[in-house]
Amino acid sequence: MQEGRVLPAEQVNRDLLRSILETPKWFWPVVGILGLIVLIAAILIGYMINRGLGITGLNRPIFWGFFITNFVFWIGISHAGVMLSAILRLAKAEWRRPATRAAEVLTIFSLMTAMIMPIIHTGRPWRILYWAFPYDFARGIWPNVRTPLIWDPSAILTYLTSSTLFVLIALVPDFAVLRDRTTGISHRIYGLLAMGWEGNARQWKLQIIAGVLLSALILPVFVSVHSIVSWDFGMAVAAKSWHSTIFAPYFVVGAVHSGVSAVAFVLILLRWMYGWQDYIRHEHIDGLGRLLVVVATGWFYFFVMEVIFGIYGREADEIAVRSLQFIQEPFQAWTIIFIVTTYFIPVALWLTRRARRNLWIMSLACISVNIGMWLERYLIIVPGLANRTAFTFSWNSYVPSVYEAIIVGATFAFVSMLLLLFSRVFPLIPLYDIKEGDILKNESVKIGRRVVPAVFRED
Amino acid sequence: MVSNRIDHKWGMVVDIDKCTGCQACVIACQAENNIPLNTKDTFLQKRVNEWIRIERYWEGEYPNVKARYIPVLCQHCDNAPCEPVCPMYATYHNDQGLNVQVYNRCVGTRYCINNCPYQVRFFNYWHPGWPERLENQLNPDVTVRTRGITEKCTFCVQRLRRAELKVERQSGARLNDEALEKGNYAPACVHACPTSALTFGDQHDGGAKIRNYFDDVNAHDIHHEHERETRGYRLMEEVNTRPNVIYLKKIDQHPLGKGDGHV
Amino acid sequence: MSSHSESHYPHDMWVFPDAQSTTQDVANKTASTPKILKLGLVIAGVLAVLGVVGFVLRMATDGFSDYGAWGYYAAIFSYIFIITSSAPLVAVAFRLTKSHWRRPISRISELFALVGVVNVILYIPLIYLLPSINNPNFTPGMHGELQIRKTIWMEVPVGAPHWWDFLGIISLAVLSLVILWVSVVPDLAETRSTTNGWRKKLYTLLAGHWYGTKKQWIHQKISLALLGALYFMMVVFVHFLIVSDFAMSLIPGWKDSILPPLYTVTGFQSALSIILIIAFTMRKWGGYEKYFGTSVFWSASKIQIGLTLLWTYHLFAFFITLWYGRMELEQNILRYLMFESYSWIFWLNVIFIFLIPFWILVWNPVRKTAWGPALAGIFILVGNLLFQIRIFVGAFNAGDIYHLGLFKVPPPVFPDVWDIFMVLGGIGLVAFIYLIGTRILPALSVWEVKEGAMYQKMGTLYRGEYLVLAKPE
Repeated sequence: MQEGRVLPAEQVNRDLLRSILETPKWFWPVVGILGLIVLIAAILIGYMINRGLGITGLNRPIFWGFFITNFVFWIGISHAGVMLSAILRLAKAEWRRPATRAAEVLTIFSLMTAMIMPIIHTGRPWRILYWAFPYDFARGIWPNVRTPLIWDPSAILTYLTSSTLFVLIALVPDFAVLRDRTTGISHRIYGLLAMGWEGNARQWKLQIIAGVLLSALILPVFVSVHSIVSWDFGMAVAAKSWHSTIFAPYFVVGAVHSGVSAVAFVLILLRWMYGWQDYIRHEHIDGLGRLLVVVATGWFYFFVMEVIFGIYGREADEIAVRSLQFIQEPFQAWTIIFIVTTYFIPVALWLTRRARRNLWIMSLACISVNIGMWLERYLIIVPGLANRTAFTFSWNSYVPSVYEAIIVGATFAFVSMLLLLFSRVFPLIPLYDIKEGDILKNESVKIGRRVVPAVFRED
Repeated sequence: MVSNRIDHKWGMVVDIDKCTGCQACVIACQAENNIPLNTKDTFLQKRVNEWIRIERYWEGEYPNVKARYIPVLCQHCDNAPCEPVCPMYATYHNDQGLNVQVYNRCVGTRYCINNCPYQVRFFNYWHPGWPERLENQLNPDVTVRTRGITEKCTFCVQRLRRAELKVERQSGARLNDEALEKGNYAPACVHACPTSALTFGDQHDGGAKIRNYFDDVNAHDIHHEHERETRGYRLMEEVNTRPNVIYLKKIDQHPLGKGDGHV
Repeated sequence: MSSHSESHYPHDMWVFPDAQSTTQDVANKTASTPKILKLGLVIAGVLAVLGVVGFVLRMATDGFSDYGAWGYYAAIFSYIFIITSSAPLVAVAFRLTKSHWRRPISRISELFALVGVVNVILYIPLIYLLPSINNPNFTPGMHGELQIRKTIWMEVPVGAPHWWDFLGIISLAVLSLVILWVSVVPDLAETRSTTNGWRKKLYTLLAGHWYGTKKQWIHQKISLALLGALYFMMVVFVHFLIVSDFAMSLIPGWKDSILPPLYTVTGFQSALSIILIIAFTMRKWGGYEKYFGTSVFWSASKIQIGLTLLWTYHLFAFFITLWYGRMELEQNILRYLMFESYSWIFWLNVIFIFLIPFWILVWNPVRKTAWGPALAGIFILVGNLLFQIRIFVGAFNAGDIYHLGLFKVPPPVFPDVWDIFMVLGGIGLVAFIYLIGTRILPALSVWEVKEGAMYQKMGTLYRGEYLVLAKPE
């Protein structure tokens, strides 16, 4: 758009490849600390698999707690990728250009992290690893396709595969640039990945077609993944507050909300870390903020629908859950924090142009959204189980153990570490997207006495 | 599959009027089925494992307080919500009306536990352990479940299988109420109950004691509850799980003024 | 325009009308009434009269005490309401996203505000028809009966829901009229000096204050943005009220959080479809082809197919959640609304709203034409009518509404002659008022189209011809 200067291609290459060709001083210490956290969590997971789930805070009747909350949260974050790269590409929004690669990569890493959660939270993880696949591993019995728990791995793996393909194909021209600027073993690996890219007209045409096709094809996957994860809860009849028809679109919109906020935050971080002020500009964060206002309001509508129709039936067991969520401590405090951080604080900020253009405020708003959305999943799962049956004799409360807290915190470290490592090897801002944007905006239109910047519209 | 198996549909009747809340059934079940000991730690961790439990509800204000007891166990629902949600088919409905749990297929996702409206499924958070020498009292007919698996009441299926072997296959007789009682083949809780509040039998056996109640409750569904002739009802009937356990209402001689005195 | 030798767009994809002649051209078209339009007015008028006849005779035979006989009336009210209230959103939403393709169709969508006034009148019988929330026959200890039937109104405030819903409908009608007025003022101001007669008086009354100063334009832009956003939120809210009170609450045991979003999506889909049908008609037979490029249809059809898929997704989410648990009361809802009583209308509903439009719109060449989206739109409109009939006739005839749930599946209710008259009459009434409206106010948003012509031109990049879009922020 019109705020950036059009830079010569050589400088674009130099700037965006800086993260790969040079190592910033802070890089290895930061990765080291993150790696240490991940290592501690891995050891704790090993201990948990050895000793059993008894070391967690799970009990009766709260059989799903922090791990499943975290699972749904990371699946939610993964929805940013498709939203920004596929949907905005199909809608031809120019301001998506620097965000697409970071969003897609965040998708892949958050999906990988999310998949770890349901595996480690089962009683016998070494079995679920391969029994979930469609084959009669376990004594000639195929997995039960009627359960949402089998729809889950199918949907998530499809999404992971298609996102990975998407990223790899989009990376091919950038691999070629890297191939031409490195020597030795790096040169050979990049050359392999670049698959003989020369940048002639035919290859570019195929590249664009592939991008558009994948964008369109990944959309149904994107909608179905989080719908299926939501049906883990929606299909349950015994947990009344979960049995709501709106869960599917509610979770999907919530996922877009938290995912896009996460990407906005990641972009602000990248801009600061690698000095990419020319490429990640205020107008991009502004555009993301405006998109988020619409998404957040849509999410709020679905949330209100869910609560109103939860109370609609005035059924005693559902009212019991709602009163636990909204009236009783400690959940009341969490609920207030959740609603305020997910909707009211961010949207109030995003409605003003000054706040949208201030990177500190945007970072705070985006972190606030993700805190709120993590709490949202927790408040659906744990109160839903705590008071779930009509038999009040079995009602109970849940206190997460320190192991769960560390493992959940380490997932954030894991995703950050993977993103940093990725940025060392592959460019996090797509080079050709930026250059394409520069070419397309080399035009202006005279309106009256003003000359207004313009953009070519290609289809 | 044994082709000449006699067709049974096991069911249980729980008479709340006779239940005194003594918990003999709980102990018997624990002993019979190798259930891990519920120590003080287990209660503090809120992970009590009781395949049949006595739920106690208080009614009224001091000094007019009454305790109400209801034994809750796996209802072996014909339309069980726990069955479709297991990814490994570890829980399914067999041809004798029992909801069976296959331990070696269970990976412990706990969706079945979350989807049970009666809260009668239990998860082994820890590896079970017994104090020294107490291992000698473990029942050899029943698997000792490792940690990470879900378990629940099986209507003491090990006893039923032994009964089928001895009574039906060896001597060719039919496994009816009398045979179950004589050979101690009915579930442990049924045998232990001092007031005979629990009755077990075959719904397909015309002479079974439970037949009267099952016929009555089956004939009048939830919308015609007031037409029933016995005191029978099913727990949480509106969820349409179609349990194979029927409860009989308590008749309170001196109700506290709330409803007609039944639990 | 420059040569199209390297252009890979159809030649009429984008149009850049000449600003000088646009005003006069549109004014001429608004003032004239060609024969085909007169014919349309006559047919619509006849249908509207039929509708009134049907209404009066229904009132005579059944009165207002038995609400079950009025199911089809509720269905046609809902149909008219949902389309006329959602239609202005097309203009509002795509102004917000700054999409240029909305320019020719924005006035078409805003004109539905004139029909919105009819919603207020049509709602009045429903105030008398809707049964009260409190069960008049309730005695404590009754089995299976509720004292207050399930409703979104918590402690049943005074007048709920009848009067609050009425307030919602009135405010929607008023707000959409205000948006229409704010949007149409520049166009009326341009022609107030060149018309005469009653038009001159009317235009001077409505737009006399407008001189096109910079301040007035900025003021207009901000008003449209704020009013539009407010209208959007109000529409979604009132949709939620109407469908919850007049459909969900009347079928015992139907607790369904996705019904309001499903209802709203149906409304958006039908509104966009009817606008595209009108745009196609104007382009083909109204002489407006200079103003409607096929880019309008190309872009709008993507939204149309997206909404079609969204509708199907919501319907599937509803189905799978209720079906999965095998609970008797939920299964009865499914049997009633989908698989037994209203099964044939349900399957027709799915075929007309999803299957046929999807297979029309999925082809890119068809989306690039003007007739493609319009054809899909016709099926969508028929399908939406079937949807409203299924939901509202089903709701009004669900037996005892104070039950805990649907214990028995009620039989379907077929329309009789008066019902058919009322449905046709509703459609005729909408068409009649709309056509009259196009005679009074210009059917094309002249200022927006001129603004678009300023912002767009064709440019050449290397060897290809592309559209150039100015981006004044």
